[in-house]
Formats: sequence, C-alpha cells, structure tokens
Amino acid sequence: MITKSSLDFDGFENWRNPIANGVADYPVKGRARILARNVRKIEALKVPVTKKQPLLAPGGAAMQGGSSGIGYGLKYQARCISDVKADTDHTSFITGTLSLREENEVHLIRLSSGGTELICEGLFSHPNEIWDLASCPFDQRIFSTVFSTGESYGAAIWQIPELYGQLNSPQLEQIASLDAHVGKINCVLWWPSGRHDKLISIDDENLLLWSLDCLKKVAQVQSKESAGMLHYLSSGAWDPHDVNAVAATCESSVQFWDLRTMKKANSIECAHIRKANYDVKKKHMLVTAEDESGIHVWDLRKPKIPVKELPGHMHWTWAVTCNPEYDGLILSAGTDSTVNLWLAPTSASDESTSGSIAESPTQQADPLLNSYSDYEDSVYGLAWSSREPWIFASLSYDGRVVVESIKPFLSRK
Amino acid sequence: MGTDDVPLDDKAKRMRDLLSSFYSPDPSSTPNVSSKHGALDAINTNSFNADQYMNLLVQKSNLEALLQRHVEMAAEIKNLDTDLQMLVYENYNKFISATDAIKRMKSNIVGMEANMEQLLDKIMSVQSRSDGVNTSLFEKREHIEKLHRTRNLLRKVQFIYDLPARLGKCIKSEAYADAVKFYTGAMPIFKAYGDSSFQDCKRASEEAVAIIVKNLQRKLFSDSESIQARAEAAVLLKQLDFPVDSLKAKLLQKLEQSLGDLQLKTDELENVTVESTDPSKQGKVSDSIRSTPHEASVREFAEAICAYRVIFPDSEKQLITLAQDLVIKHFEMTEQYVKRRISSANLLGVLRTIWTDVLLMDEILCEAVLPDFSLEAAQVAVKQYVASTFTHLLQDISDALLKVNISPKEAAEEFPLQVALEASKKAVLQGSMDVLLDFRQLLDDDLGLLVKLRDFIIDWVQEGFQDFFRALDDRFLLLSGKNNSSSQDNGLTEGTQSEKVLAGLVLVLAQLSVFIEQTAIPRITEEIAASFSGGGVRGYENGPAFVPGEICRIFRSAGEKLLHHYINMSTQRVSTLLRKRFTTPNWVKHKEPREVHMFVDLFLQELEAVGSEVKQILPQGLLRKHRRSDSNGSTTSSRSNPLRDDKMSRSNTHRGRSQLLETHLAKLFKQKVEIFTKVEYTQESVVTTIVKLCLKSLQEFVRLQTFNRSGFQQIQLDIQFLRTPLKETVEDEAAIDFLLDEVIVAASERCLDPIPLEPPILDRLIQAKLAKSKEQNPIAS
Repeated sequence: MITKSSLDFDGFENWRNPIANGVADYPVKGRARILARNVRKIEALKVPVTKKQPLLAPGGAAMQGGSSGIGYGLKYQARCISDVKADTDHTSFITGTLSLREENEVHLIRLSSGGTELICEGLFSHPNEIWDLASCPFDQRIFSTVFSTGESYGAAIWQIPELYGQLNSPQLEQIASLDAHVGKINCVLWWPSGRHDKLISIDDENLLLWSLDCLKKVAQVQSKESAGMLHYLSSGAWDPHDVNAVAATCESSVQFWDLRTMKKANSIECAHIRKANYDVKKKHMLVTAEDESGIHVWDLRKPKIPVKELPGHMHWTWAVTCNPEYDGLILSAGTDSTVNLWLAPTSASDESTSGSIAESPTQQADPLLNSYSDYEDSVYGLAWSSREPWIFASLSYDGRVVVESIKPFLSRK
Repeated sequence: MGTDDVPLDDKAKRMRDLLSSFYSPDPSSTPNVSSKHGALDAINTNSFNADQYMNLLVQKSNLEALLQRHVEMAAEIKNLDTDLQMLVYENYNKFISATDAIKRMKSNIVGMEANMEQLLDKIMSVQSRSDGVNTSLFEKREHIEKLHRTRNLLRKVQFIYDLPARLGKCIKSEAYADAVKFYTGAMPIFKAYGDSSFQDCKRASEEAVAIIVKNLQRKLFSDSESIQARAEAAVLLKQLDFPVDSLKAKLLQKLEQSLGDLQLKTDELENVTVESTDPSKQGKVSDSIRSTPHEASVREFAEAICAYRVIFPDSEKQLITLAQDLVIKHFEMTEQYVKRRISSANLLGVLRTIWTDVLLMDEILCEAVLPDFSLEAAQVAVKQYVASTFTHLLQDISDALLKVNISPKEAAEEFPLQVALEASKKAVLQGSMDVLLDFRQLLDDDLGLLVKLRDFIIDWVQEGFQDFFRALDDRFLLLSGKNNSSSQDNGLTEGTQSEKVLAGLVLVLAQLSVFIEQTAIPRITEEIAASFSGGGVRGYENGPAFVPGEICRIFRSAGEKLLHHYINMSTQRVSTLLRKRFTTPNWVKHKEPREVHMFVDLFLQELEAVGSEVKQILPQGLLRKHRRSDSNGSTTSSRSNPLRDDKMSRSNTHRGRSQLLETHLAKLFKQKVEIFTKVEYTQESVVTTIVKLCLKSLQEFVRLQTFNRSGFQQIQLDIQFLRTPLKETVEDEAAIDFLLDEVIVAASERCLDPIPLEPPILDRLIQAKLAKSKEQNPIAS
C-alpha cells in the first residue's frame, strides 16, 4: 500500500490523504516520506517518470525513536503554520505552502475528536508562495498571509468562503491587501487576543500599524515608522500583556516599540535573532531564538543579561514558542530537523537571584525534556494549540505537519 | 565417681565453709550460692534441697555408686558430729576463763577513791603559794619594763638623728640595701612626728633617699649591671614606695622597641634570603649565615625578657603578650612573604628561623606556650602558602595561555597555538609536579613545627588541588566566555583577525582540558597517592579531599563544551560571511555568472585558518576515512559517483534539467546522511563538523532567497567549485557531497527558472578560477 501510494504519481490526492500518509504507514514511514519528498521534486520538474523504479532502495531509513506524532503531508514545501485560536470547538491549525513555481495551497487541518488523526478540513489555493501566515484571533475563517511572487512581496487578509464544503474548488476571499509596503515583508501580527481592528505588519525597514474593517473590507495604515538606518527587521511579536508594546527583531537586537508614540522604547542587544515570543502567562518574559547561540529567556526589566540560556539546536534555532498554559515550557524548532521541548522555569530566578545561583546546577541538569527528531528536513513552523495546550503542531520544510502531545512530559513537571 | 581422689581437701573445705557460714552474719556471701541446682556438691549450700538432691543422685548414679555414697556420707556425718562436739567444748572453755577475769577486775577497783582525794588537796596548796610569789614581784617588774621602754625610745631617737649621716655613709659605700632598710625602719616615726620634732632629720634623710632612688634607677636601667643587681635595685625601689609600675612600663617599652628592631631585622633577613636563593641553590648556606646576627639579637631579646622577668616577677602576662607579639609579627611577615612567589625551601628557611626563635623563647618563658601558639600561627601561614602556591600556578597557566593573544602579533612564531598548547600543558603538568615537589619538601622536613602540621598539610594539598582544578575550569570558561562575548560584540564591527586568535585559544583550552583529564590528573593522583595519602584530619566520612573522578568529569565536560564553543565560533565567522553574501545582492536580478564568486575564497580561507589552528592543536584522527559508516558511505558513493561522472561526461545535447533530475534520483536512494554527528578530538572530526555546519547554513541561507536563472547558476558554479577543495579537507565525503547537493537542490527549488549551467561552461569557469588562484598563489607566497 505504501509503495503504491507513494509511487502513484498521478494520484496525488491519494497520498495527500492523511490516513494513507499519516497514521497508517508508521513502520516504514521514513522511507516512504523520502520517496514522497523526492517524488515531489521530480514532479516539480515536470519530467515524465516511468513507474519502473527499483522498489528496494539501498538501506532503509532508520526510524529514530518511537514517535507518537500524527502526520499530515502538504503537497509542497512549507514554512509556516498557525494555530486557529478562534476555533473553540476543534483543535485546528492552518498552514500554507511555499512553492515558487506551483500553485500554492492553504490547508485548514483539524485534529479528529479522538486525537488520532489529522483531517483536512479545507484546501484552498493561494496565488503566491506563503512566507508567513497568521490566524485571526477572533474569527476562525480569517487569516493573514505574507506572500511573494519571487520578485515582489505582498501581504493580505483572507477569508475562507462560507460554503467551501460544497464548492468544488473554493476560492479564498481577499478581505484586504496590506499594500503599503515597499521591500520584503516579514510578518503580520494580529492584536494578541479578542476582537480588535488593529494589525501590524513588519517589512525590512518599516513597522506599520493598520486598522482593519472586516465588513467594509478595507485596511488603512494608521501609522508607519521606519526602523532606522541599518536595521533590517526580520520578525516581531505583540506583547499579550501590554497591547501597546511590540517587539521587533532585527539583525543585532530586539527592539521594543510603543504603539502609541510609534517610537522605540527599549532594546536588547544580541546577535541574529530569528524569532521572539512572549510568555503568555508571565509578564515581562520574552523568549528569543538565535541562529547560533540557542535560546535566551529575557526579563524585559533587565535587558542586559538573559535570565536563562538554553543550548538550542545543533544548527540554527529557527523558531521558539512558549506554552500558553504551562509555565516554563518552551518549544523550539531548528534546522537540524528536530523540535526540542524545554522546561525552563524562570520563577525561581525571577524572584530571588541568590537562590538561582544555588539552584542553577540542578536546574541546568537537563532543561531539555524531549527532542522530537522524526523529521526529514529543517523545521520552521511551530505552533501550540491554544485550545488543548498540551498539543503542538510542527511543520518541516518538506511539507510535513506533525502534531504531537506533550502529555507524557507534563507529569514530570 | 571420682570423689575418691580428693576426699581430704574436700572435707577440709567443707569444714571451713561450714564454720564460716556459722560465723558470718550474711548467708548470701557464702561462695557457692550460685550453684543452686548444682549437682551433687550443692549439699553444702543454704539452698540445699534434699529431695532434689536425692532425685539427682538416684538418677545419676548406679547402685554401687549409691552404696559407696551412702558409706561416704555416713562417715562424713560421723566426722561432722565429732567436729561439732569439739567446737562446743572449746567455746565452753573460753567462756569460763572470761568469767574469771571479770571477777578479778571487780576486787582491784575498790581502794582507788581515797587516793584520789588526797591528790586533789595537794594540788590546791601549790596553787595558793604561787599566787603569793606573783603579787610580791609585780611592782619591781613593772618598773623594769618602763625603764626598758624608755631606753628603746631613746635608742630610736638616736637612730633617727643619726639616720641622714648613716644614709650618707651607705650611699658612699653603695650599700643601698641597708640604707633602704634604715629608711623604711624610720618611716613610721617620720610619718608620726615628721612635721614637728624631727623635721630637719626628715628632710635630710629624704634628700639622702632621693639620691638613693636616683642611683637605684640608674642602676636599674643600665644594661651593664648584672641582672641580680638590677633586680635588687628594682626590689629596693619598690620598698621605697617608688612608682615601680611606671618603671616597669618604661622597661617594657624598651623591650617592645627592641622587638620592633628585631622585626626589622627579620624582614631584612627575608629579603636577603630571597635575593640569595633566587639566583642559585645556595639558599640554605646563606640562610644560615644570615641567620646568625638574627639569632644573636633574638637571644639578646630573650635574655632581656629573662631579666625583666626576674626584676618584675609579677609581669608574666605582659611578657607573654610580648612574646606572642613577636611570634605574631614573625608570622605576619611570613604571610606577607608567602604572598610573593617563594619556594618551599624559602618558606622552610623562614619557618626554621621562627621555630628556633620560638624554642629560644620557650626556654625562658614556658608559660607563654609559645610552641602551641606558633603552631596555630604556622597553620595559618602554611595554609596560606598552599593557597597562594595554587593561585600562582593558576596564574602561570593562564599566562601561558594568554600568550597566544600576544605572540601572533609579533608573527615570529610559526605555530603560536601549538606553542601555547605545549607551554600550557607544561605549565599544568610541570607546575603541578613542582608544586607537589615543593610540598613534599615541607612534608619531609623534620622541623618540629611542620611535623605536627603534616596531616594538615596533606589535607590542604589535596583540598588545594581540588579547588585548584575547579578554579582552573572556571578560568577556562571565563577565558572562553569572555572571548565569546567580546567576539560577538566585535565580530560584527571589527575584522576577524583578533577573533581568530581567540577562537584558537578556545581550541587550545579544549585540548588542554582533555590533556588534564587524561594525563595530568592521573599523574597527579598517582603522585598524591604516593606522598600525600593519609591526612584524615577531615574525618573519614568526607573521604579524601582530592577526588580525581570528579575533576576528570568536570574537565571532560569542559573540554566538550569548549570544543563545541570553538566549532560554534568558527561557524559563526563563516555564517557572517555567508549572511553578507546572501543578503547583499538582489538575486532575482542577478547577472549571468562570469566567475566563481569571491566568497568561496573567503570561505576556503576561513576553513584553512581553522585547519591550521586545528592542525596545531588536535591529534590526527586514525585513518578512518572509510571506516566511518562504511556501508553507508561507500554504497552511496559507488552509486552516486558513476552517476555524477556520467553527468560530467555527458554531451551538452542533454538538457540541464535532466542533470538535476539525476541528482534527485541519486538522492532518492541515499540514506539520510547523518549531518550532526558527535565531535571527536581529532583534526578531521572538528574540521568536518565545521564544514558540515557551514554547508547547512549555506543551504538555509539559500532557502531564504529567490533566484533567477543566473543567480541559481552562480550558486551552482560556486558549489561546484567548492566540491573538490572541501572534499580534500574533510573525512566524510559522502556527507559533504550530500550537503553540497542539498544546497544546489535548495537553490533550484528557490529558482524561478532552474536551468543549470552547461557542464562545459561550468568546467571552463572553474578552470579559469583555478588558474587565477594558481597565478595568485606564487605572488602571495
């Protein structure tokens, strides 16, 4: 069945089916995925390939550790996945592909009620490759994307059509285009929680505050501020505790912006930050992922020295996110094809610095709770489910979504 | 029954027992109470139970024995009866004689009373007569006594009138003792009548006494006088009610002053010792020579103290403090001295001097318990010495390490890192050995002071090593950590020159950690076990202070950390390079590739730099190019190489796309290559890891860009060029191939129009580049 499904090039629908590709094929999943991935590349080159392929590749891919994850395959490569926060009935994620030359897709994925499989709830075509994707916190049908045509960048707010279940090829409905950007757009941030009309988009040089009207389907620039010379912004995070504060990462620092004045309020100096993420549960806590030097936990009141340092990954640490519910649980994804789950409680060091020194050896003993290494390529996308905060979704570059539960590690806390 | 053997003894014993039990009031004190259920000999005890005895007897004995027993018993009973009779007779006799004696006593007492009365009368008459004599003589005696008193008085007056002249005479003859005696004798009279009748006399004698006091004082302070004389003078002064305390204080001051002088001398001595020992090994000789004046002065001091003590016998307390002051000052000096770099020979010299001083002082002033006191002080000093020795060692090592930072600037040495590594290795091992040797000297010396401290020293040395290695580990991390932060700060702004050195230092530290773990610690452990075992003052539950296992663990992890740090630093440098390369140009509007981009040169340069650093420090790995993941590597290469050769030789009629396809197909059958393998302490492993990480970074950078055809071709060209030199430097060819392919794949995926360069063009461009670099090389070298 596996060989059939993975070598059946014409029937792509077949292998995209999560049941065929996901749960059912665990014992030989590794090889199947490699085949699938490379087949995809071949397919991308539009070269006719006969089905006469040697079925026995030299050596089988070694399964690395037992994995409890539930898999789901996208058709193309992909970088971004987002938790659909507004969907309170299901645990769902939304993800979009990154393919330069093919028709890109947005997948709405739902974890089945039993939690055993991932169901493709919706599949929509997207005009361009998606570099960033964020789900609207108050409407499950709305999300934002940052996309690129290869030469230029754009950002837009989309709405999933209401009747998509009945339509054959449902089209996404564009609510608004955030078209005031010139350079490379990096990300779009939604108001942290609740219904609000504010949006932030960050491109290489500017930070834009938008006011969005979903009904009238217009988005207007409220204010715009340049990051300053020689500061190339790369990503950002909206402070869930202080809605006037936004952290923007640039090459050598994290800048903190006050949205009321649109001025830089503060900054943390550190090199090559990829992603920053606020601790939802605890105020003033920010986690950053850095290319070479791993993960740092910062207390924004003490911006000179990180509260905690975690070793990160063998190669770059790409994404990092704090658990929305459990204190001190940090998830990081890296280009070494692993996702690491860390336990780094900051409370002890937060309240009494003297205690932290004494405790540090035991704490440093092993902050790494688990390393999920069952990926074939770099992992760029990472999202906790806000509905079931012990579940997270990860997305590796080869377009594979893996949803895992960290429940086994919660007991250790 | 073997009772026949000792019938006589048995019998006598029983007899005696019976008698004693008869006479002793307490039956419990009889010896054989204990054998209550005792066998057959329980017959003589109080607790004898006839029934039980019978039972036992019947049970135990046969008829014959019973009969015999019966006969025996009958005989015994008969014996007992006769004994009893005899006793009764004897007692009766005694009683009769006692009655006789009492009768006689009664008759003798009767005539006594009359004699007594007669005696009393006679005594009474004697008494009345003696009273008569007394009263008749009373008056005359009274008169005589009065006359005698007057005469005495007159004599005293005479004495007082004569006193000044007498005193003068005494002064002349220096018989101060007499003078004082006279004066103190006259003192009460002067006190009573000095203001009226004897005014002149008093004045004159006081003047004389003043002279005496002055003379006495002079005598007391003059060192030329004998101690006896001075002591006498002091005593006399005291008798004259002169304020001796102030004198005492003055003298004490003088002593203290001389103490200060003594101290200074010690200082000089030490200075001299240092100077004389430093250049050559003549330390001991010069030490002894130098110590003679010192010893003399100490002896002098001791004598002074001795004298003082004789003069003021109640001054021990002050003297003790004085002596202790001396010791304290000595040890303060020593502590100062220890802070400087000294060998234990020097320390020994100083300690020896102090010890002789102490012994000298102890002879005179044993109450001061100077040896114990100085033992405590020495404990502190030696401990400090041990500590400071380790501090110096630590300093030495980090100095040796930090030389890396300086020497390359001078550019005199070819392999600065290697030199630094060797130097620091030597510093660690030789330094530790020297330190141990030094401490050995302390242990082996038979100086009384040190013998008592031996156990302590052993413990301190062990503890010292433990702490030293912990501190060393901290220092290593500090050195590398500092570099880390500074390189992060500087790396972006400044050039890479200074950084390189620091990265090298980290590598040196890593290798040094391994060296310490694998060589130095075992050696030191051995040495310690050989000469510093024992100790045990700390108590056994704590175990020995030096735990080599723990230290080894610390350094193993430190080594790994540092090695990773080094790799990180190196890859960071390359990363910056790559970042610049990939973020600067507009890849979508890239022009057709004309030559291999220069970042490749920079990249290779960095690798070369890493290679040269690594070559200096790390050992060469075993020839394991093909051993590692043998099946994996060889199969893939055998599979993919023909393909690639094929690809190369293929005519350009084929479209470039098919080449890419082949790359994909080749990959299809490759295993997932282990990119992130464990790093080993070998040149190849480290270089390979760095190259792998860099290539992975390259891939990630490529994935972030979008290329047009020319951009893609540029990447393809650069990567193709990299292939050969990288494979030359790296042991894991398969992984490198895989990663390079991955880069090309990533570029093609991110390309709007992925048409690769035709192999001939690719080849030509590479050849051109090679020729160019060849051209440059001779010029450069």
